[in-house]
Amino acid sequence: MAYLTQLDYVKYICSCGQLKPITSLYFCRHCLKIRCGFCICHEVDSHYCANCLENMPSSEARLKKNRCSSCFDCPSCFHTLSTRATLAQPRQPVDPAGGDTKVENKQPKKMYYLSCFNCRWTSRDVGIPDQPVASGGWPERANPFATRINQLLDYYKAIALQEKQEKLERERKKFSIRGKYITLTDKTGLTGAMARNIAGLPSNEAGSSSAIANFVASQASEEVEQLPDDIYTKEVNLKQITSMPQRLASPEWQPASVARLHPVAKLLSVKRSQRCRACDHNLTKPEYNPGSIKFKIELLAYYHVPEVKIISHEPVKPGEKTALLVKLTNPTGHEMQLRLLQPEDIPPVEDREEPRSIEKSLERSLNLEKDASACRAIERPPSYAASSVVATPVGALTLAQRDDAAEYDDDTQHDADHIILWRKSNKLALRLEVTTDASAADGAPASTAFAIEYSYRNTVPPSSTAAHHRDHTLYTTVLLDLGKVHA
Amino acid sequence: MELQDTYYNKSEYVETASGNKVSRQTVLCGSQNIVLHGKVIVQSDAIIRGDLANVKTGRFCIISKGSVIRPPFKKFSKGVAFFPLQMGDHVFVGENTVVNAAVVGSYVYIGKNVVIGRRCVLKDCCMIEDNSVLPAETVVPSFARYSGSPARLVTALPEAMPDLMTEFTKSYYQHFLPTTVN
Amino acid sequence: MSYNIKIQPGGTVCEDCTLEGDITIGGGTVIHPRVTIIAEGGPIIIAEYCIIEEYSTIIHKKSDKQENPPKPLFIGAHNVFEVGCKLESPCGHVGESNVFECKSFVGVDVKIGSGCVIGAACQLTAPQTLVDNTVIWGSEHHIREALEKQPSQLLQLDFLSKVMPNYHRLRKPNVHKRQPSRQSQESSPKP
Repeated sequence: MAYLTQLDYVKYICSCGQLKPITSLYFCRHCLKIRCGFCICHEVDSHYCANCLENMPSSEARLKKNRCSSCFDCPSCFHTLSTRATLAQPRQPVDPAGGDTKVENKQPKKMYYLSCFNCRWTSRDVGIPDQPVASGGWPERANPFATRINQLLDYYKAIALQEKQEKLERERKKFSIRGKYITLTDKTGLTGAMARNIAGLPSNEAGSSSAIANFVASQASEEVEQLPDDIYTKEVNLKQITSMPQRLASPEWQPASVARLHPVAKLLSVKRSQRCRACDHNLTKPEYNPGSIKFKIELLAYYHVPEVKIISHEPVKPGEKTALLVKLTNPTGHEMQLRLLQPEDIPPVEDREEPRSIEKSLERSLNLEKDASACRAIERPPSYAASSVVATPVGALTLAQRDDAAEYDDDTQHDADHIILWRKSNKLALRLEVTTDASAADGAPASTAFAIEYSYRNTVPPSSTAAHHRDHTLYTTVLLDLGKVHA
Repeated sequence: MELQDTYYNKSEYVETASGNKVSRQTVLCGSQNIVLHGKVIVQSDAIIRGDLANVKTGRFCIISKGSVIRPPFKKFSKGVAFFPLQMGDHVFVGENTVVNAAVVGSYVYIGKNVVIGRRCVLKDCCMIEDNSVLPAETVVPSFARYSGSPARLVTALPEAMPDLMTEFTKSYYQHFLPTTVN
Repeated sequence: MSYNIKIQPGGTVCEDCTLEGDITIGGGTVIHPRVTIIAEGGPIIIAEYCIIEEYSTIIHKKSDKQENPPKPLFIGAHNVFEVGCKLESPCGHVGESNVFECKSFVGVDVKIGSGCVIGAACQLTAPQTLVDNTVIWGSEHHIREALEKQPSQLLQLDFLSKVMPNYHRLRKPNVHKRQPSRQSQESSPKP
C-alpha cells in the first residue's frame, strides 16, 4: 500500500522475519523494533455497526450475537436493506359501530418496509407486514432449535465447571499432602459442600450434576425421511429456490424456498487496538467514536523509520550494472544520519540485560504467571533471495527533519554529488548502482536488498526508573523488487 | 514506482486563483452551484451536475477523465429532492467513474469504471477498487477497502491512509504540468 | 445520414447531445447532456416519460437481415437509462418501466419486457428474452423476479423538466419535420 494502487516494490524486514511494505508495519518505541500484524496482539476496543455507526458495549454485543439491532442485510444479495416509507390507508374496521368513531384514523398513515436497492428484494416479498415505526420492531423469528441449544450450553457449562472444580480439588490435594498442618476443614469438621457454600461456589451435587445427569445426547437414526416422489420429475424453478450462500446466511433456518428468506441482522464491526507482545505497550489505539479516523496512539513504522521508495530503475540484465534511483524520506521530527550497508553487515544484536529496577523485575516475575506462550512472538530469520547486489556508498548521509511548511518552497537542491541526485526538505534522491549475478535466468524475478543504519531519537518521556538513552542507532533491511531479469 | 509527470495542453485547461485546474472540455452544469476548494483537477469529459444540487469538493481532489459527479435524488411523498453532494479533501476519482454519493469523506480513493450508487456515504479513509459497483445507500466505513459488484469489504486499509492519500494527491497535483512546448 | 428528429411537446432535450437519424422523442421525456442516440439501422421511437442520463448510448444497429422498410426500435414509456448505459438493438421493442442502471450494456437480440432492472455494470450479450419484472444484478448476473413493477419516476421528471431549462440550452419541441440540426457539441463549454 505504500504506492497506494501499485504493487509493493519495497518491502521491509520485520523483526519477526516477515517481509512487509512499510505501511503495514509498526514501530515499538519501547523495544525500538519494527513489528508487523503477525507479531503483535490484536485487541477489540469497541463494537459498532458499520451502517448506522452506533456504538455497542461488548456485553450487549455478545448478548445480541454481535449483530446490530436496527440494521439488516438483504437475505437475497446481502446488501444493506433500506427503510422505505409508504402511505397506507388504514383499513376501515369491520365493526360498524367503531366505524364512525375512528374517522380521524382514515388519514393515510406512514408505514415502513425494508427494501434492497441492489436486487430489489422487499420485506413485502415474503409477507412481512409493514411497520408503523421507521426503525426496529421487525418480527424476530424464534430459532427452532433454541431449547436444544440452551440445553447443550447448560451441559457444557456444567462440564466446564466440574472440570475446573476437579482441577482445584487436585491442587488442593497436592497441597495437603505436602503440608503437615491441619487444614481448616479437618479442624472444624466443615464439609466440602459447606466450604463451597461459604465461598459462594455452586454446590457440587445439585446444580451442575443435574444438568449433566438430565442431559440426553443426540441419537443418530437409521430412519431417514424419504424424498418426495416427484423430486426427479418436478420442474425446477430456479427463481424460487435459494442459493447456498443465501441458506448459509441464516444457519438456524436454512430456507430452501425464496419465500422464506428473512432479513438478516447486520454484523457488527470492531475497532481494534494493537499491542506489542514483548513490552505490552500499545502500538495503535483508535479513538472511541466509530466515525473518527484519528488515533490516540499511532506508532507506525511510516512515522518512525526512513522510507525507501523506488523512483525508477533500468532493466536488470544478468552480469551487468544497472542504475537505480531511490528516494529516502525522513518522517521524524529530528535530523537523521543514514548509512547504507549490505544486509549481512548489520552488527548482531547483543542481548545486554539492562539494569532493571526491582519493580520491573517483580513485574516480570508476575508476568510469568500468565501463559507466556500466547504472547511470545516467534522470530525467525527472514527468507529472501536477492539476485542483485547494491553498491552501497561509503559515508553517512544527513536527512533533515520533516517540515510541513517546506512544501511551499519548491526549489530542489541539486547536489553536485554523483550519488545524491537532489535534496528537498526531508527527502533525498540517491543514484545507486546494482550489479546483477551473471547466472540470473531470463524472466526470473529481480530483486536486491540493502540495510540502512539510521539514527533515531526517542521522544518517549524517560521513565524515572530506567536509565534512558535518547539517541539510538537502529538498523533495518529493505528488499527492492526490480521487476524481471532481462537477458 | 514514483508518479511520473502528466502533461496537459496549456490552452485546454483553465487555472483559477486558488489553483484549480479545470479542463475546458468538461460539462460543468450550473457552475454557480459548484465549489472547488482549491488545487482541484477536473480533467476532460468529466461532468459535474451542479444544476441538480450543490456540489462541493475539498482541497486536492482529482476528478479524472470521463467521470460523472451527480448529486443523488430522493423521493418523498410530495416530490423529489436532489441532495447536495459533498466531497472532502484529498479525494481521487478514477476515469469513467460515476459518483452518485451523498457524502464522500476525505482521503478517499475511488478507482476507475466504478459506479457509486445513489445516496451512498463514503466515510473518511476508504478505497473502492476499479470496476466496482456500490449499490445505492451503501455506507462504506473508514479504513475499508471495497471491491466487486456488488462491492463488498475485502480488506482493511493501513492506519497511515490519510498520509498516503495526502501524499498521492499532492504529488499528482505537482506532477500535473502544462506542456512546455511553444 | 439523414437527420429527422421529432420532439413532441413537453420533451426536454439538451442541445449537448448527439442525435442522428430518424428519432422521435415523446412528450415528458428528459434527455440529459452528452447522450448519444443513433438511428442508423432504422427509426428510434422513444415514448413518453423516459429519463436518459449522461453518456447513455442508444443505437439502432444496422443488420443484414433487416426488413425493408426497417422496423423501428420502440422504447416504451417510463424507462430510465442511467449514466453511461448502452443499448444496441436492431430488433426492437423495449417494454415499459424498465431501469437500465449505470454502465449496463444490452446487446443485440435481447428482448426486454416491462418492469425489468438491468443492474449496474451488467452486460447482456447473448440472445435472450427478459420476462416482466426481471431483476439482474451483480458481476455474476444473478436473476430474480421482483414482486412489483419498478415505481415510476414521474416526480423526478417533474423536477427535471422544471429545473433543466434554467441551466441548459434545450432543443425546441418540434412535432414537425425538422431540418438537419447543426451538431452542437462545440458550442458547449461554459465557463
